[in-house]
Amino acid sequence: MTSWAYIPQLLITGVTIGAIYALVAIGFVTIARASQIINFAQGEFVMLGGVITFVLLNKGFLPYPVAALLAVLIVILIGFSLHRLVIHPLRKASLLIILMATLGASFFMSSTSNLVFGSLPKSLPPFSGSEAFHVWGISILPQSLWVFLATSLLLILLYLLSHRTFIGKAMEASSTDPMGADLVGISRDLMLLMAFGVSAGVGAIAGILITPIFYTSYNSGTLLGLKGFVAAVLGGWGKPSGAILGGFVLGILESAGIAFIPSGYKDGVAFGILLLILYFRPKGILGSPFVDSRRW
Amino acid sequence: MGGGSITTVSKNEFRKRDLFYVVPMWLLSLVLPNPVPHRKREFQKRDLIYLAILVVLPLLWRDFHFHHLMVLAGMNAISALGLSLFLGYTGQISLGHAAFFGAGAYTTALLTTQQGFPSLLAFIISAAVSASFAYVIGKPILKLKGYFLALATLGFGEIFLVIVRETPGLTGGVVGISGIPWFTFAGIVFDTYLKQYYLIWGVLIGLLIFSKNIVRSRMGRAFLAVSASEDAASTVGIPVAQTKLKAFVMSAAFAGFGGSLFASVMATASPESFSLNLSILIVMMVILGGMGNLYGPIAGAIFLTWLTDVLAGFQEYSLPLYGMIFILLLIFFPEGIGTRLGFRIVYLISYWAKKRRREKGKIE
Repeated sequence: MTSWAYIPQLLITGVTIGAIYALVAIGFVTIARASQIINFAQGEFVMLGGVITFVLLNKGFLPYPVAALLAVLIVILIGFSLHRLVIHPLRKASLLIILMATLGASFFMSSTSNLVFGSLPKSLPPFSGSEAFHVWGISILPQSLWVFLATSLLLILLYLLSHRTFIGKAMEASSTDPMGADLVGISRDLMLLMAFGVSAGVGAIAGILITPIFYTSYNSGTLLGLKGFVAAVLGGWGKPSGAILGGFVLGILESAGIAFIPSGYKDGVAFGILLLILYFRPKGILGSPFVDSRRW
Repeated sequence: MGGGSITTVSKNEFRKRDLFYVVPMWLLSLVLPNPVPHRKREFQKRDLIYLAILVVLPLLWRDFHFHHLMVLAGMNAISALGLSLFLGYTGQISLGHAAFFGAGAYTTALLTTQQGFPSLLAFIISAAVSASFAYVIGKPILKLKGYFLALATLGFGEIFLVIVRETPGLTGGVVGISGIPWFTFAGIVFDTYLKQYYLIWGVLIGLLIFSKNIVRSRMGRAFLAVSASEDAASTVGIPVAQTKLKAFVMSAAFAGFGGSLFASVMATASPESFSLNLSILIVMMVILGGMGNLYGPIAGAIFLTWLTDVLAGFQEYSLPLYGMIFILLLIFFPEGIGTRLGFRIVYLISYWAKKRRREKGKIE
């Protein structure tokens, strides 16, 4: 069978895309932990990260690192304003309303991006060299290594942020015990604002990392967001470690799937996995603090 | 009015922005139904007025665009009515109703173009197909609490789209199926917008009467109980998972009816029509119409279909505007546009009276 020969190669692709899914999933989990909100606009942060960097680089003629940094800052601001303009006015509404509002925001962001930046798919130059190098017959793009490296670094940073800084501890407190956090004077609203900022920033970085490999267009964010969400559920909804694991597992399964099923069905794989995990283990691989999987 | 509503009554705090929409609200309250469940009488004089308007309006206003819009609104309203049973009455979330709608449409398309089935038979089989999809998905998931059904239906919607796109032999792939014959029944071919209007709104009224009876039945009461509290419902002996499954299957069957009509009225079925956007639109119709209410989703469907049409006139700005209006509607009317309008107005007027009295007191 020829398809087995591709497996190591597909594994590399899977780990690359899995890192991106992990970052998107982390974004979902950060917000969900702060308030139980499912923010379906998460994928749009990824799209905006890639697209804004492209625009700053090509129209603003900024050097690459500056453009990337500026794009991340802009997307963080967009994340803050998403909280201020959409989530904050709805803080007393039911979760369904908030969920629908984030879907509306996602729709707004992607169509505005289409309007402002155009509908053509955008690509960034790789960080260093586009020559693939070969190890044991597997060709690896340098950008894949960058993705992996940057993701690991970012995850370590996020770990340090949540475990070693005051603000991280406050966020942690308001997610584990909202009422206790209220009592000791932690503003939950502020923590949610921070969570939106963090997840927007993480999303934007994911977008910048992925755009040199896969093209980013105005509508690619929605599907990426949904898959990141599947990853978060797969690993264990509400657990950062679960999100990372789920991201990599989903990425690897999805690209390994290409070897065995027609490539058009690739997008279906993630959602098939979602259905299976919901059928058989709704709390995900690592278990979830939010899921009450008691059956009637 | 309003006070005894079963839906959770939030604090009717006065907000300054209420002043800005008191007049349109009053006008709306004359037209929109107030969604308070458990009316004493099921059918009131108001219903006759609605019916008369529905029958006469297209004859008086002979505008093809209007007829077309109402045909679209009617099809959306059928799905929204079904979702209302599930979302509004049973309190569960489905983000995949477009897939059931699409399943209905594709079933009709395939049966009529390839097998030569009569429209009516295809119409019924479509609903059955959608309902059986819903059964297969809902059976394991509905035993769980929380948001899982929303996620599972979302996943099902995406899988449905992928399968439709990737089996061009059967479903025509991205292009879809065209040339579906018009709906024919008892020798009448529904080929003009006016005929289609009466077909679709006739079906809708039939389904509305059915839903009204369901809501009044033991099953409907069980829906409301599950929506209020699953634990309490199970304590009084309501099989919660089974009740949710019934509501889900029923609402999927409604969506199947809607989809089947869509196929035989639009004469085409293509995957773009059944994407996540349609699911979101249907949920929005139910939310804006007011949860736990049967007229609301229909009003919501007419409103949103009309809004889509108006915004389409803004060309490239239409989609961002659409997203913005979505969010604004959710922020300003989270309980639906029609919900307790009369009550709110009475409150506002009394507030003004009190405020003026207070100001007078200060002056003196």
